[in-house]
Amino acid sequence: WKKEEFRNCNQTPFCKRARSRKPGSCSLVATDVSINDGDLTAKLLPKINGNSEGEEEQKEEPNKPLLLRLSVYQNGILRLKVDEDPTLDPPKKRFEVPDVIIPEFNDKKLWLQRVSTEVINGDSSPSSVVYLSDDHEAVLRHDPFEVYVCKKGGDRVLSMNSHGLFDFEQLRSRKEGDNWEESFRSHTDSRPYGPQSISFDVSFYGADFVYGIPEHATSLALKPTRGPEIEFSEPYRLFNLDVFEYIHDSPFGIYGSIPFMISHGEVHGTLGFFWLNAAEMQIDVLGSGWDAESGISLPSSQGRIDTLWMSEAGIVDAFFFVGPEPKDVVKQYASVTGTSAMPQHFATAYHQCRWNYRDEEDVENVDSKFDEFDIPYDVLWLDIEHTDGKRYFTWDKVLFPHPEEMQKKLAAKGRHMVTIVDPHIKRDESFHLHKEATNNGYYVKDASGRDYDGWCWSGSSSYLDMLNPEIRSWWAEKFSLQNYVGSTPSLYIWNDMNEPSVFNGPEVTMPRDVIHYGGVEHREVHNAYGYYFHMGTADGLLKRGDGNDRPFVLSRAFFPGSQRFGAVWTGDNSADWDHLRVSVPMILTLGLTGMSFTGADVGGFFGNPEPELLVRWYQLGAYYPFFRGHAHHDTKRREPWLFGEKNTELMRDAIRTRYMFLPYFYTLFREANTTGIPVVRPLWMEFPSDEATFSNDEAFMVGNCLLVQGIYTERAKHASVYLPRGQSWYDLRTGVAYAGGVTHKLEVQEDNIPAFQKAGTIVPRKDRYRRSSTQMANDPYTLVIALNSSQAAEGELYVDDGKSFEFEKGAYIHRRFVFSDGKLISLNLATPKSGYKVYSSECVIERIILLGLSGVKSALIEPTNERADIESGPLRLQGGRGPSVLTIRKPNVRISDDWTIKIL
Amino acid sequence: TPPRDSLGIPPEDAKYFKSDFIKCRDGSKKFTKAQLNDDFCDCPDGTDEPGTSACSRGKFYCRNTGHVPLSLFSSRVNDGICDCCDGSDEYDGKVKCPNTCWEAGKVARAKLKKKIATYKEGVAIRKQEVEQAKEGISKSEAELTKLKSDEKILKGLVQQLKDRKEQIEKVEEKERLEKEKEEKKKKESEEKADEQDKDSTERQHEENHEKIGNLDEPSLEQDASQVNDNDAVEADQNGDSSGNEASHSQGADQHAADIKKTMVETESGHDVESNTSPDKIVKQEIDGSDNTEGLSREELGRLVASRWTGENSEEQTKEVNDAKKEELKGSSETQETEPDEDYDGYNSSEDNYKYGDAAEEEDMDDEFEEDDHHDSDASYKSDSEDQTDFSDLTTTSSPSWLDKIQQTVRNILQAVNLFQSPIDKSEAAHIRKEYDDASTKLSKIQSRISSLSQKLENDYGPEKEFYSFYDRCFENKQNKYVYKVCPFKQASQVEGHSTTQLGRWEKFEDSYRTMLFSNGDRCWNGPDRSLKVRLRCGLDNELTDVDEPSRCEYVAILSTPALCLEEKLKELQHKLDLMNMEQPQSHDEL
Repeated sequence: WKKEEFRNCNQTPFCKRARSRKPGSCSLVATDVSINDGDLTAKLLPKINGNSEGEEEQKEEPNKPLLLRLSVYQNGILRLKVDEDPTLDPPKKRFEVPDVIIPEFNDKKLWLQRVSTEVINGDSSPSSVVYLSDDHEAVLRHDPFEVYVCKKGGDRVLSMNSHGLFDFEQLRSRKEGDNWEESFRSHTDSRPYGPQSISFDVSFYGADFVYGIPEHATSLALKPTRGPEIEFSEPYRLFNLDVFEYIHDSPFGIYGSIPFMISHGEVHGTLGFFWLNAAEMQIDVLGSGWDAESGISLPSSQGRIDTLWMSEAGIVDAFFFVGPEPKDVVKQYASVTGTSAMPQHFATAYHQCRWNYRDEEDVENVDSKFDEFDIPYDVLWLDIEHTDGKRYFTWDKVLFPHPEEMQKKLAAKGRHMVTIVDPHIKRDESFHLHKEATNNGYYVKDASGRDYDGWCWSGSSSYLDMLNPEIRSWWAEKFSLQNYVGSTPSLYIWNDMNEPSVFNGPEVTMPRDVIHYGGVEHREVHNAYGYYFHMGTADGLLKRGDGNDRPFVLSRAFFPGSQRFGAVWTGDNSADWDHLRVSVPMILTLGLTGMSFTGADVGGFFGNPEPELLVRWYQLGAYYPFFRGHAHHDTKRREPWLFGEKNTELMRDAIRTRYMFLPYFYTLFREANTTGIPVVRPLWMEFPSDEATFSNDEAFMVGNCLLVQGIYTERAKHASVYLPRGQSWYDLRTGVAYAGGVTHKLEVQEDNIPAFQKAGTIVPRKDRYRRSSTQMANDPYTLVIALNSSQAAEGELYVDDGKSFEFEKGAYIHRRFVFSDGKLISLNLATPKSGYKVYSSECVIERIILLGLSGVKSALIEPTNERADIESGPLRLQGGRGPSVLTIRKPNVRISDDWTIKIL
Repeated sequence: TPPRDSLGIPPEDAKYFKSDFIKCRDGSKKFTKAQLNDDFCDCPDGTDEPGTSACSRGKFYCRNTGHVPLSLFSSRVNDGICDCCDGSDEYDGKVKCPNTCWEAGKVARAKLKKKIATYKEGVAIRKQEVEQAKEGISKSEAELTKLKSDEKILKGLVQQLKDRKEQIEKVEEKERLEKEKEEKKKKESEEKADEQDKDSTERQHEENHEKIGNLDEPSLEQDASQVNDNDAVEADQNGDSSGNEASHSQGADQHAADIKKTMVETESGHDVESNTSPDKIVKQEIDGSDNTEGLSREELGRLVASRWTGENSEEQTKEVNDAKKEELKGSSETQETEPDEDYDGYNSSEDNYKYGDAAEEEDMDDEFEEDDHHDSDASYKSDSEDQTDFSDLTTTSSPSWLDKIQQTVRNILQAVNLFQSPIDKSEAAHIRKEYDDASTKLSKIQSRISSLSQKLENDYGPEKEFYSFYDRCFENKQNKYVYKVCPFKQASQVEGHSTTQLGRWEKFEDSYRTMLFSNGDRCWNGPDRSLKVRLRCGLDNELTDVDEPSRCEYVAILSTPALCLEEKLKELQHKLDLMNMEQPQSHDEL
């Protein structure tokens, strides 16, 4: 990491300015408050009685009124918009990010009918109060202007501008002598529209911690960046950047940006605040007592976390989510930006990548080695070197002369291939893509109006203007089997470098004064560039499959809504223990902010992991939602069989663990797809009232059943694992039960990391291993029932064809398994309607493991009235340890049927 | 479908499964006959499910009549993919696997037969080579013994000649002094002039020497200039940011040019003129203060890219600068005898500089010296020169040259009369010449002794079957690279005029089935290069399949008769016999 190559807040004028403002310096008051089109609208004007001097410098020209609009949506969502008044002829329309909010959200708008105006808590000015939900109200205080959500007639929940830090730099025309240019290192930003930043404070009430706002390599619970006893820290930066060798534990911005923050507290539950804005953003988490000298005391006795949000451009389009449960907040956020796409089944299995598998022979060798060592894998990846001179959609003719044949060979074993397609297009007259893009005027333009020319892998390159829907549609066509010569239906795509990375640009990205579609400046759309590129690519795969093949596209850059287009990973991490450790909070944070399908490069991208680190990484990575091994081309080969028999065995076992749990993972992906609840979750999402979990980011939950904690140190002999209170936990290896609400000091073995199944849950598995997940489709299931203290448990299983969109038409199996009163019942959760498609499966359950039960000998299956033996058997066929567990042998009930199994 | 109780069980194990209660092989438990292949895993080791996919550790046996039997992982049973040529692994009816054993068997048998034929011939060649090696070694040993005794004698003669020479010189000196005295006055002024001349030449010589000495510390010089450079950049930058922005890029270009100029100057101090290329600057920048300001847009792009790619930027520029290198080669060849080596040396010291490690630099210097010894071309050539040179010495059949010398020495020692004054000029010259000749011969013998001892020190395998590899190099051309493997010496990759050391000989590995070359040129961002050469039986020594599976870790295959082992041949023949046995009689010799 080259610190000096990136701007800090002090070198970023809008940030420096906003950060130095004193509480109370906002002089805006709300006037003309009324209901319009079902919204509460108002004008914001500086206070006339000239109370605005003091610290704030007098503006050169008086501000025009800003338009404020408060809208209310179902499930307790308040939306606040503040923008310039278009009727007052501003120099330019400010950029409002399109295409992120899903159309369905607009259908959830509640049309406000009435507003009550009252003076609250001895305020000096009135407030306008509107309905938000049955429990909550939204309030606009007029003077000083403030927006907040409170419980009906009670405590505040969320508020904005309570510290009077709101500031909105309106566009103005350049006057003589105005120098709006900004320079950083050798780059100059022409800033033709001058200062246009926005900043404000947001307060979360009853919050013990705040989380979210990825992407940063740092802890899950966000540490304060300002306040008493806090050494100088940068704010959390949201600016998509390709950072070479990023460091762990830093508020610095990396590849993606989601300006969505979640707070959680024991008393008040969970809250969320989301600012839809694609310009550079900086966010301070203010340590308690930061405002001690401001003289402002908020009308609240509860704990509170204040934050300062600063953005270089755009408008205020902000969403307040009231929770109150953690899962409610992520659902509320998902109702705005969408849930994550349902991945193809293969994509949830193990991926093998390296920069680069060099040629067809290399690919064949690696593929056959997996078979030789009986290690399952599903996808083989090709990085940039597979192309003809970094011209994407082409193949190096010497190294990959027969790409179709190569993919077909993999496909014959049920395996898939992924190739990389980056956004930089080689400026080469003989490259058809470049020629077309040039002729059609599809590239973004530099400040002088010419096609922007930057430097990336392909050398001198230009960048498509993905903001333009016409260009995205053109781009999408490039993925058809005809256009992408050498592609086959088993080929999927990886979008890298889409921050966008520009090697010779300012901070290794695109200059901010580059112009996009509709005259939008790059500064306004920067953080969404990768999002649009990802969108265009996913659309391309959708089109390729006639709308019935789920796209798989991995992206490095992301923005709110990226979850709808595919997976993301945490970029170029390093092969060290700190990066293994930080991968967990990074993935958890992404999950909280909508991105369910995420992972870190197993092994670490840069550097050579010691075998022990690599093994530990596989053991942890097996539980990442996206599980891929990847490595830089300067590193030694590190395929799982290269480190001796013992390590091969350990890595094989780790990978097989993932394959064993695939039915469970797939069920979780479906849950994320329908609700927005992430596949892997911070402990506090499952145990919101267990304070001991709030800042725990060593361990995490996979769904609501499994708790996993990595081993993050070399030669660890012990690990301290906190198991949340309320129930006991069964060790996944041994079946031994551990008490909840206790930090256990566990002995650590080399063959596994601490992992437990929560009592009261049922987990579906497939215990037979195959070459790839494809061959597992017909294999029988194992159910692991972990009984709680009342001898009950429940769980779910979701199955579909793993590939198409038929599931959206009802072609799936969704069962709920409930164990109570000594019997296991399979219930249908699917809601068949007439005309819906059916997904049928012959799959049976071959084994049911009962944890927490003893002394039973057989089981009776209804309605067939057959008997099944109960024997003792291993908890796991491979790598299991400890005492045997009760196993119902061969019940052979079909997963698609209703049945009951009585324990006798 | 075969019956359940034999499914997936190899014939030799059939007995094991005969009883009513069967033990899991790992001893963990027992299972009933009904549990054999009942598609439920009872034994964790898979004993009870040889014919299904129920146990992850199981093995499935397919008979493959007409071909060779196969033992599969259970994970392959009924997975929809035909693994056994007889199709027996897919019996659940989901896929149809045609029986291809006869065809496949035929092909396999043909292949095997061919392999056996190769082995047969190879074994014979190997035998010859082993014999030749033994002969060669004993010959060398004999030669070495003889050379050593010759050396002893010759040493004595040389000493005698030297003594005599020195005596003569003493007398001559005396005579000269006397003569000088006579002529002193007469020639005083002239002599003075002579003296001065001589002085000045000496001084010049010393200066030159100092210059050469400087070569040992290139990094210091570069360091200094680098620091200056950066200062300059900084200064430039400051000037720019306060001044007019528009002129900035021009200033930057100008500055880049300045850097280049400085580089050239620095380098010219190393006699490696015109070896400047943009990547050099880029590399310096990366590893120095990493000051990216003042670079052109393209340079900046390349610089940032090179962080990820390491050598890529180097390679890119390499292509661009190929022409330049041609020139370099042309010009330096006239000055230096081994331009490639020198060029590489420069590169390596660049690398060294980058890591800024003084200790490593010393290592590198050592390696340079080794280079001189190990360079294949050089040593090969010099060896062969020695060979020809020695032909007169080593043709043992002819009456010994040593006798001749001894005779000559005796003669002249008697002939020269030290007390005769003045000394007979021709006699003195004769002695000097004889002394020179004899010591030349002595040093030749000594060098021959050293090269022979070196040769005999090597590990040529249990039967010396690799003896013929000494003094040989094997080449393979792949695209623009020529790979050159010289066993017991080193391996290299040659691209045009530049040579990269892939490794120096280390040893045989893997019971003489692999040759290991290690400690090659360091990779820019990776390990030292290394090469493993896997050996296979073949009739000719042929290098194939050079590959770089991991960055800077190369592998290659060398087929050689040295690997055509008799035991292996027997093994193959046995395998063929088995295959023929499996073959249904009716199909025989169709």
